[in-house]
Amino acid sequence: MEGRISNAWRLTVNDKNFIKTALLSEIRIDGRKPFEYRKISIKFDRGDGSSEVQLGQTRVMGIVTAQLVQPYKDRPKEGTLSIFTEFSPMADPSFEPGRPGELAVELGRIIDRGLRESRAVDTESLCILAGKFVWAIRIDLHILDNGGNLVDAANIAALAALLTFRRPECSLGGEDGQEVIVHPPEIREPLPLTVHHLPIAITFGFFGNEGILLIDPTHNEEAVMGGRMTMTVNANGDICAIQKGGGEGVPQRVIMKCLQLATSKAASITKQIKDAVEAFTERALRKIKRHPTSTDVDVKEKQNQ
Amino acid sequence: MENKKSSSPAGFIDSTVVPGDVVLDLSSMTNQTIKIGGGLRQDCDAISVMKAGTLRFSKPNKYWVESSQKRYVPCVEDTVLGIVVDSKADNFLIDIKGPALAFLPVLAFEGGTRRNIPKFEVGTLLYLRVVKANFGMNPELSCTDVSGKAAEFGPLKDGYMFEISTGLSRKLLSSPTCPILEALGKKLSFEIAIGLNGRVWVNATSPDIIVIVANAIMKSESLSTAQQIIMVEHLLKNIQ
Repeated sequence: MEGRISNAWRLTVNDKNFIKTALLSEIRIDGRKPFEYRKISIKFDRGDGSSEVQLGQTRVMGIVTAQLVQPYKDRPKEGTLSIFTEFSPMADPSFEPGRPGELAVELGRIIDRGLRESRAVDTESLCILAGKFVWAIRIDLHILDNGGNLVDAANIAALAALLTFRRPECSLGGEDGQEVIVHPPEIREPLPLTVHHLPIAITFGFFGNEGILLIDPTHNEEAVMGGRMTMTVNANGDICAIQKGGGEGVPQRVIMKCLQLATSKAASITKQIKDAVEAFTERALRKIKRHPTSTDVDVKEKQNQ
Repeated sequence: MENKKSSSPAGFIDSTVVPGDVVLDLSSMTNQTIKIGGGLRQDCDAISVMKAGTLRFSKPNKYWVESSQKRYVPCVEDTVLGIVVDSKADNFLIDIKGPALAFLPVLAFEGGTRRNIPKFEVGTLLYLRVVKANFGMNPELSCTDVSGKAAEFGPLKDGYMFEISTGLSRKLLSSPTCPILEALGKKLSFEIAIGLNGRVWVNATSPDIIVIVANAIMKSESLSTAQQIIMVEHLLKNIQ
């Protein structure tokens, strides 16, 4: 028990007061303006279907995997999309191992709502054989370091991983045409998912009494702020989801202001994600073309064996 | 070769040492008293190293091992910045970034008696001195210097506290003054308290000076001396 207490991260009274007073003159402790987003870097070190996003100090890894399963009875022609979060105590000592905390559940729900209920991923194209085989897409989000605003970072990681994910191509065969043949990636090029639009989560923090609003709060600011609101919007300006957390009430005009800000930020973040994904896919394609003979040989050898 | 080296401490000073190295042999230096700091331990006559780092020596008789880490290992006579976690009848519990909470006896203040025990709310930032740091015990702190005077120790008001590595905090405290503080100090006026546990507190008249100083120090973590000076000059140019 004492170990836990001494490991816990704490904020001093001085810091709390400083963050608040500095915000009154529109200064944030990392030198940003109130409506400035931190630098985002998206990496794809582990190949297809995985991404690592760094947003300031925050790091999140997203991994997408797929499995052939039987569909739900009420939706026989639709694949499924599910999101799992992993909050490791390495990222922040206040995360308990094993049991998902309140924040872990909320984060998963926000991203799930943004992606699924806005129908960003086309689940109908994941159907192989109605009522028998559909692809179940699973997104795992691992929090590697908590520097604040985990929701936005995890959302970007999920999108980047979804965009680079390739599922093996399938066809139906056998005598009755009911057998599913999964083609290995060497024989048929794996297929990307159909993603209609990118719902981007943008989080705002509120410092109630003074009516201060800021975007992309850091770890320290999260500890001080009264309320927060996550808006999931896409580059077309459609609102996909809104989540209001914390205790403070927010007037309507502030919500409208947040929406405007969120839409403009979503456009620039969408561009960043698309650029990163494009650069990666180009590199990946070039890599495959570089060794066409070697893969051919491998396949032939396997067939001979 | 190995034995020769261990009998002359000069051979190890300012060089890299690893756990297990015997850096001093007390049997050959019976007529002097030495003080050993962090990363060294005494086994009978041998002074051996407990962590990887650089062995430092300061005249007349202090030895310690310097390395850079995020977790602070308490060591006697270090000055640290602590955060009040809880207050008990006899002790304040203080977080000093160490493996265990540290105790600050309620009487460890200048002229401290049972009648004038100070009240600190949870989260108060204190500038403290480590008095005891034994294995298996919570470290003990004090708010006075060796002679019982308050000196500069005690609660720090306002300002902003941030965390850096222990190596950088030592560099900032080194003399001659660290180039980054020197460069910042020429243009800006600010107050600073550096704890060897990798915590730094900065105060100034306006919040933007605090933000500049804090970010300059945090960024200098991985920069060389020349790069630090360039970075600070660049920062200062931007605000003018």
